[in-house]
Amino acid sequence: MYKQSRPSKIMGLLGATVLVVTACGSSATASPSAAAPSAAAPTVAPSLVNITPAPIAAGPGPNGGVVVSWFIGLGAGTQPAQIGPEQAFAAAYNASQKDVYLSLQIVDNTQAANILKTQIAAGAAPDIIGPVGVEGLNIFRDQLMDLAPTIAKNNYTFNGVDPKLVDFFKLGNNGATVGVPFAVYPSFLYYNKALFKEAGLPDLPTKVGDLYQGKPWDLDNLTSVAEKLTVDKAGNDATSAKFDPTNIVQWGFDSQYEDNSARAEDAWFGAGSFLAADGKTAQIPDYVTQGETWFNDGVWKNHFIPTQAQISSALLGAGGEFGSGNLAINESHTWFTCCVAPPKGTKQFDFGFAINPLVNGKITAPLHADTFSILKSTKVPDAAWKALTAMVASTDLLTTYGAMPADQTKQKAWEATIDKGFPGIKLDWSVPEAMLAYPDVPNHQSWMPDYAKAKAALQAFQNKYRTTSGVDITAELATLKTTLQGIFDAAPKS
Amino acid sequence: MAQSSESSQISGTPIGKGRWHMNKSRREAFWGMVFVSPWVTGLLLFAAGPLIASFILSLTDFNLVKPEAVRFIGIDNYVHMASDPLVATGLLVTLKFALISVPVTMCASLGAALLVNSNNLFGRNIFRTLFYMPIQIPVVASTLVWMGFLNPETGWLNQIIAFFGFRGPDWINSVTWIYPALTLFGLWGIGNFMLISLAGLQSVPTSLYEAARIDGAGPWKMFRNITIPLMSPILLYNLVICLITTFQYFTQAYVLTNGRGDPDNATLFINLDLFHEAFRDNRMGYASAIGWLLFVIVLILTVIVLGFARNRVYYAGGES
Repeated sequence: MYKQSRPSKIMGLLGATVLVVTACGSSATASPSAAAPSAAAPTVAPSLVNITPAPIAAGPGPNGGVVVSWFIGLGAGTQPAQIGPEQAFAAAYNASQKDVYLSLQIVDNTQAANILKTQIAAGAAPDIIGPVGVEGLNIFRDQLMDLAPTIAKNNYTFNGVDPKLVDFFKLGNNGATVGVPFAVYPSFLYYNKALFKEAGLPDLPTKVGDLYQGKPWDLDNLTSVAEKLTVDKAGNDATSAKFDPTNIVQWGFDSQYEDNSARAEDAWFGAGSFLAADGKTAQIPDYVTQGETWFNDGVWKNHFIPTQAQISSALLGAGGEFGSGNLAINESHTWFTCCVAPPKGTKQFDFGFAINPLVNGKITAPLHADTFSILKSTKVPDAAWKALTAMVASTDLLTTYGAMPADQTKQKAWEATIDKGFPGIKLDWSVPEAMLAYPDVPNHQSWMPDYAKAKAALQAFQNKYRTTSGVDITAELATLKTTLQGIFDAAPKS
Repeated sequence: MAQSSESSQISGTPIGKGRWHMNKSRREAFWGMVFVSPWVTGLLLFAAGPLIASFILSLTDFNLVKPEAVRFIGIDNYVHMASDPLVATGLLVTLKFALISVPVTMCASLGAALLVNSNNLFGRNIFRTLFYMPIQIPVVASTLVWMGFLNPETGWLNQIIAFFGFRGPDWINSVTWIYPALTLFGLWGIGNFMLISLAGLQSVPTSLYEAARIDGAGPWKMFRNITIPLMSPILLYNLVICLITTFQYFTQAYVLTNGRGDPDNATLFINLDLFHEAFRDNRMGYASAIGWLLFVIVLILTVIVLGFARNRVYYAGGES
């Protein structure tokens, strides 16, 4: 019998190791199911945006000023149409003074957080990040500089900004101010006027306190309208006994382009946090229980909200629900003006804005807000602050990002720029302006321990009820609470 | 002394000014090393370096966004892994998928190779190209296409099933159907394995088939007693690579569920869990430990497969 010697065995083991290492390191040879990427570097779509221009290694910038690096990618700012204006802003700013040289670093949005984390880990973090929303700030919470002392030192005044919005950015550790109001995104209802007309329904209310069909504009009223606007293949609506829920072609309601989590979609039911006031206990606020029960019933019992499979179907534009023309009402934020229109070549429709309904006698309009923030690792805080104030004051940047200005005196001009994108459609901007008075405080994206993991648990909860019929929402929420508590308990201490 | 003299003769003896004499086998070995040196250099720089770094990281609590707070924690990450339900889920999901996907992929690629190798197939080259073509499509793009194909409401597959009077399942969102769906995806990308198998098939001497035919062997007997044994090194190679890449499975699961592992963690492959730990939760130290666990598992499986195959693989001109 052939017996292997010890060196042969060692060589065999080494050979196997090399085979595994090399196979793990490359997917170019073969794969069981299309090329699989390596574990260390998951394959992603190649970045559309390169770092531009090349970062300055050291020393003063070309204008003789202190170099301040500005990291763009965590929120808006990476679209091809936005890069030119950002570069133009930096060039104009650098030419306008000699104290600071603003150096841009623009990275692909889908990878921005990972790139920034890697830069922080490597000790090569930028000075300014943004525009960035609450969620981005939560992820980098421990790395953000408290701006309050700098604001006080420089006697900075927030022109035209609601003081509540200034407080909104006290999101850092121990209530540190981590941003200056720049842009706001109130939420409200977008509705397809053509579908309303077809169903013989009047337009939705645009003023707080208006009645709809003689009744208060509240959750019950919204539910009944949404049911009437849900239609099957035979043309029966969801209030009809002949309605066939297996053949729906038009839906009444959804919350689209939120942050894909349960707490975002039902944030118009009220405001609260999954983290109790003690900062360590998980809780399920009452409005969440009410909201998720309503959504679950809306999907599976009354059928006016699409299931996940229906959302990703061609009928609802493979995720572009409202733009498909087959969703009647969509609760979303001002940023949705980017994508509200159906794709070119498909049926166009008239749409309008409406106020959020009363839930338990109160209106809540979930708010998103963008800002610029300074990382505490910056070696040039004063120069970074100077650049940041110029960025926040720039009307050009607001226009570039399509963001509603936090400064109320600039809002009309911004609205006019959006109107230009919808010729022939009269948008009632009093709706988003009015909804700014009903923000969700605490915000639905407010911080939780181990934020990203906690959010993933919320997303898993949402996905479960949207994909599974007959889910017991109360039991699922209890499980969610337990899961969140486990995450909070295991979270690294700040 | 004698030994020293002999070894100096073997390894090389200076002859003339600045010239060394090497015997043939030494010369071949030398040039072999020269030619593989770029690959070895690459392996050392780009694989061994990160391997060592990741092992060191796995002994720390290195957090991507708190690099200043890094501490050496010994084997704590490895101990924690033993009680981490997500790691267990990740391994179980990967194993479940491997049990379905690897045999199906192996059989389908061999079947496709036999098909496009058949003299009876009209337009063989066209079919070879068609089977290989999906490999050229980026995984992300093909995953998105498959998502549309498998959509329970408007996807083609369920519409075909509906044509026969049945209601198709929710392929993507069902814990039961997600693995068959992913395996189906995978079949689209068997081109590489098919190509390697095809090369193996074409290297089998036709004289063996002729002799077997004269002896009265049918197609199945010839396949079992000639094709399979002579292709065994190729099949072994395909199996090992298939196993390794299955344990690396990531992109499709990431794209399909926005990286969440839905439904109900049914697509939380161990690599997706590793990605979550590293880049979502910032625990790079712990993620490195998971990476090493994965490495060891794949190494063990590879050694088992190679060991199992030792006496079952036929190497022409070598020991079997």
